[in-house]
Amino acid sequence: MKYKRHTFLLFIFVMYFGFSQNKQILFGFNEIPQSVLLNPSTTLDNDWYMGFPLLSHFHFNFGSSGVSAFDIFADDGRDFNTKLQNVVFRLGDDDFFTANQQLEIFSGGFSFGNSIEKDRYLSFGMYIETDAIAYYPKDYAILAFEGNANNLGRSFDLSDLNAKGEVLSVFHIGVTKKVNDKLSIGGRAKIYSSILNVNSTNNSGSFTTREGSNNLLEHTFNLDVSVQTSGISSLANGNTDASEAIKTLRKRMLLGGNLGLGLDFGFTYNDSDQLTFEGSLLDFGFIRHTKDLENYSINGTYVFEGFNPLFPEVGEGQTPEEYWNVVADEFEDLFEIDSTISKYTTWRPLKLNLAARYKFGKKKDKECNCLSGNDDYLNAIGGQLYAVSRPRAPQLALTAFYYRRLFEGLRIKATYTIDSFSYRNVGLGVSADIGFVNFYLLADNLLDYQNLAKARSASLQFGLNLVFKNDK
Amino acid sequence: MQKLKFQHFFYILTISVAVIMSSCIKDVDFDQADDLTLTPVITSSIVYAEVEASRFSENGMELETVTDSLANIEIFENDFIIDNLVRAELVFEATNSINRTFGLQIDFLNAVDELEHTLSFDASPSPTGNTIVTTYTEVFEDMSLDALKMKTKMAVTLRLYPSNDGSSLDENALGNIILKSKGLFYFSVSP
Repeated sequence: MKYKRHTFLLFIFVMYFGFSQNKQILFGFNEIPQSVLLNPSTTLDNDWYMGFPLLSHFHFNFGSSGVSAFDIFADDGRDFNTKLQNVVFRLGDDDFFTANQQLEIFSGGFSFGNSIEKDRYLSFGMYIETDAIAYYPKDYAILAFEGNANNLGRSFDLSDLNAKGEVLSVFHIGVTKKVNDKLSIGGRAKIYSSILNVNSTNNSGSFTTREGSNNLLEHTFNLDVSVQTSGISSLANGNTDASEAIKTLRKRMLLGGNLGLGLDFGFTYNDSDQLTFEGSLLDFGFIRHTKDLENYSINGTYVFEGFNPLFPEVGEGQTPEEYWNVVADEFEDLFEIDSTISKYTTWRPLKLNLAARYKFGKKKDKECNCLSGNDDYLNAIGGQLYAVSRPRAPQLALTAFYYRRLFEGLRIKATYTIDSFSYRNVGLGVSADIGFVNFYLLADNLLDYQNLAKARSASLQFGLNLVFKNDK
Repeated sequence: MQKLKFQHFFYILTISVAVIMSSCIKDVDFDQADDLTLTPVITSSIVYAEVEASRFSENGMELETVTDSLANIEIFENDFIIDNLVRAELVFEATNSINRTFGLQIDFLNAVDELEHTLSFDASPSPTGNTIVTTYTEVFEDMSLDALKMKTKMAVTLRLYPSNDGSSLDENALGNIILKSKGLFYFSVSP
C-alpha cells in the first residue's frame, strides 16, 4: 500500500516535469562562461567576464522522436496522404515533438574570496526561454484519420493529448565555491517570470464504440480533458493593440509575470589531476500561475445507444419532445467546455547531468618544466549522462566526448550522442579567444546537416563574451 | 603553446558560419500539405425500439400505426457536417417474432415541416414465432444527401399491415418487434 502510494507520488512528480534540451557540447566546456549555467560548481578560468548583451548565448533546438519532415514531405511522387497515413499509424503515443530556444539578455561573473587565490566565483544573468513539448496524440489522429467505424471495440485514449508550452524569463545568481583541492560545489537561485503558459498534461478518459445490446452500437464517452493557460487570455481576447501587447510582454519579462522560484546544484570532484567527476541538478523549481488565467475543461460520462422513440400511442409519461430534450441536454452537458480561472502550479523540467572526464597528453615544452598544473593537459575524453523529466517518462541521453586544446585560445569538443532522436548524433563545438573576446559555436547532428529535413533533431548554440584573466 | 592570432580567429568564424549556412533542406515539398484529405468514417447509433405485440391493441381495437418524431435535430446544421459529409448510410435491422408484416417508415422533415426525404421497408412476418431478421440500408448521396442535411425532424412510423386471415392482435398477443439502427457517415475533409 505504502509502495503504491509512493509510486503514485512519483508518477505525479514525473507527470509534472516537462522537457528541455541537452546541451551536451557546452557541458564541461569550461572556457565558455555559459558552461557555469549547466553546472554551478564549474570553475571558470577567468577573473571576470561579461556577455555581449543579447549576443552572449543563443540556443535553439528542435526534436521529433519518431518522424522527420522528409518522412512526410519527401518530394518523391508518392501520394501525400499515403505517406501521412504511414506516419499516423507508425508513431506511438510516446513519440514527441519538442522545441527549445534560449536568448541571454545579459550575463556576467567575477571571482572573489579572501585568500590570495580567489576561491569563489559569482555569476549572474537573465535569459528568455521558450519551451514546448507535445506528445503525438495518436488516438486522436487515428480517430480523425479513419473514424470509429472501422474501430469497433477500440478505446480511444484521451490521455494521448499531452502537451505544454511556455515562454518565460529567468533571472539568476549563482556562487561556485572551492571547498578543497579536490572538491568544488555550487548553487544557483533562479526567479522565473512566466510570460505565457499553456499546459494540458493531465488528461484522461476514453471514447469507445462497440456493439450494443439495445441497439446496433453503444457509444461510451468518458471525458476528462483540460487545458490550463496563463498570460494568454488578456492578449487573445479583446482589443489589445500591438504596442499595448508589447508593453505587457515587456513588463512580464521584467518580473511582472507569474512568478516562480528554482534552484540549481552542482559538484565537481577532481579525483586526481587527470580524473574528474561532476554532476548537476538544474531547474528544481516551480511557477505559480495566479494572473491572467483561463482554463478549459470537458468533463463527463455518458453512454449513448441511440434514440428510443416512445410511440406515445402505447407509451406514457414523457412527451416525445421532453424525451428528445433530455437526450440533447445530456449531450450538451457532456461536451460543454467549462471555462474557469483557477490558479495552478507548473514544475520546471528537472535536468540531471553526470560526467566523468579523463585528461591526458601533456604538452611538450622543452624550454620550461616549471608549470605543470592541470592546464597542461591537451586532451580529455569522457562520458556524460543527461536526463530530463518529461510528462510521460524521463528521457535520457548518453554522450561520449573528446576535447582538445589546439592553440592557447582555441579549443574544440566533439561529441557522439545516443538519445531518443538518434543513435548517431555527432556534435562539434569550437571556442576561440582573441584578446578579450570569446566566441563559441556549438552544433550537433552534423551528419544530417546536408539535409536538415531528414534530421529528427538539431541544436545550435553560439555567443560572444568579453573574458578577462589577470594572467601570469 | 602557440597563441591564437586574430587571423585564425577570423578563419574559424568564417568556417563556422559557412558550415551552418551550408546546411540545407532539400528534396522536400511542403506544398504537399495542400493535398491533405482526411476521410474518416464515423458510425453512430440512431433509433431503437422494442414494441410488444400486445401494445398494438387498445381497448380491444387494433392500432394501425404508431408514430413518434424527434424534433430539433441540430446536428445537420453544423457547418463542418454540411461542408464535409459526402455520403451517408442508414442501416436498419428489424427483428420480428409476430406473425404480421410491419412497415417501417422514416420521414425527414425540414424546419418548416416539409417532407425532404422518406424511406420505408417492410419487416417480414414470423409465422412460427421465431425471430425473423430483416435488414435494410438506405444510401444518401448527392440529392438525397442534401435532403438529409436539411432535416431537423425525423418521424418514425411503425405500420401494422392487415393480417391475411383477418385475425388481429389483442392484449394476449405474443411476440414483439425490435428495431435497431445505425448510421455510417463518410467524410472528406480538405482543410
